Amino acid sequence: MLVPFLSILIGVAMGFFIQRVRASSPGMIAKNLRLENISVIKFMALTMAVGMVVVYSLSLVIPQLLHFDVKPAYVVGVLLGGLVFGVGFALSGYCPGTCVVGIGEGRKDAIVAILGGVVGALAFTLVYTTLIEPIVGIANLGKITLADVLHLPSIVVALIVGAIFVAVIKFLPTQLKKT
Amino acid sequence: MTFATTSPPTAPPKKAPPAAAEGPSENTPWVFYGILFGLLGAFSILVWGPIGVSGTYPRFIGAIMQVVDPAYAESNPYLKRMGSLFKPETFIVIGLLIGGFLGAKVNREKAPKCEMIHKGETTTNKRYRDAFIGGFLIVFGARIAGGCTSGHIISGITQLSVSGFIFAAGVFATGIITAKSLNGRRAAGV
Repeated sequence: MLVPFLSILIGVAMGFFIQRVRASSPGMIAKNLRLENISVIKFMALTMAVGMVVVYSLSLVIPQLLHFDVKPAYVVGVLLGGLVFGVGFALSGYCPGTCVVGIGEGRKDAIVAILGGVVGALAFTLVYTTLIEPIVGIANLGKITLADVLHLPSIVVALIVGAIFVAVIKFLPTQLKKT
Repeated sequence: MTFATTSPPTAPPKKAPPAAAEGPSENTPWVFYGILFGLLGAFSILVWGPIGVSGTYPRFIGAIMQVVDPAYAESNPYLKRMGSLFKPETFIVIGLLIGGFLGAKVNREKAPKCEMIHKGETTTNKRYRDAFIGGFLIVFGARIAGGCTSGHIISGITQLSVSGFIFAAGVFATGIITAKSLNGRRAAGV
């Protein structure tokens, strides 16, 4: 029962953080994607920079305790999925997690977005065998990381990518355009 | 200089004037919460695995199908592969709901008004239309790719996954183009 309990706590913390940085506000997401205020993009970049350095530092010390799960890079499917996702992200101002947070803080359009998501999942399930399965097989590079591609130790790549993210965060202003 | 403008909520300096008619401030404590979220993602990988959300949607469909049409649920390879709802991801989604509620409650925020986010959204119904179609596309797209903002981008890039970088490139390419074009002059009439 420990894992379900901890998972709920992780979810509560994650929802709290998302709400506090206003990533669950569709208006804020639209401002980010219009590149007017990029605070949520910076929030994500900082999250990843901190996370990568921490997990790959830990993996030097306690590799047996970490549950890495790298998703396969089937290039065509992942890119196509991302392109479809981006249109929906801009249109709704939500992603599959932030609309749940949005409901928690009392947003009605978040409920509508979730309904759309449930219908989307149903449609996907119905067309999976005929339309999706063939795409997923194309150009599948497998579960690879940037460290595999560069033939460098993961911690080195994590430090380089993390440093690049932090440098970009520091260099770019958060408010790019007054609205 | 950007770090200085967004200090953690516990630190006293330059608090934005109390949210006036403008609505909530755009100056959020993203540095503070970005660091915490990075540590939380690492903690999740220690506990059971990387955080992910979008897989819960098809698992939810699977759970409904088990009741409505068990034969179909058993025969659909995708529902079989995604498995039951009894997974850490599902508990995370429940947590997100509670976390969103607490975030607003702790800071005594009233339920936010419906935000019109594009020029064409002149009525609440048009906002709901965009939310519904967008909601459909984010889950459909995430399932093609095998993950969403949390699974592919946050957890994926944290693990330096090549798939995470590819997905993020796709999302921001169409995301930025779509958001900007919906704000264009022609979109106002939609």
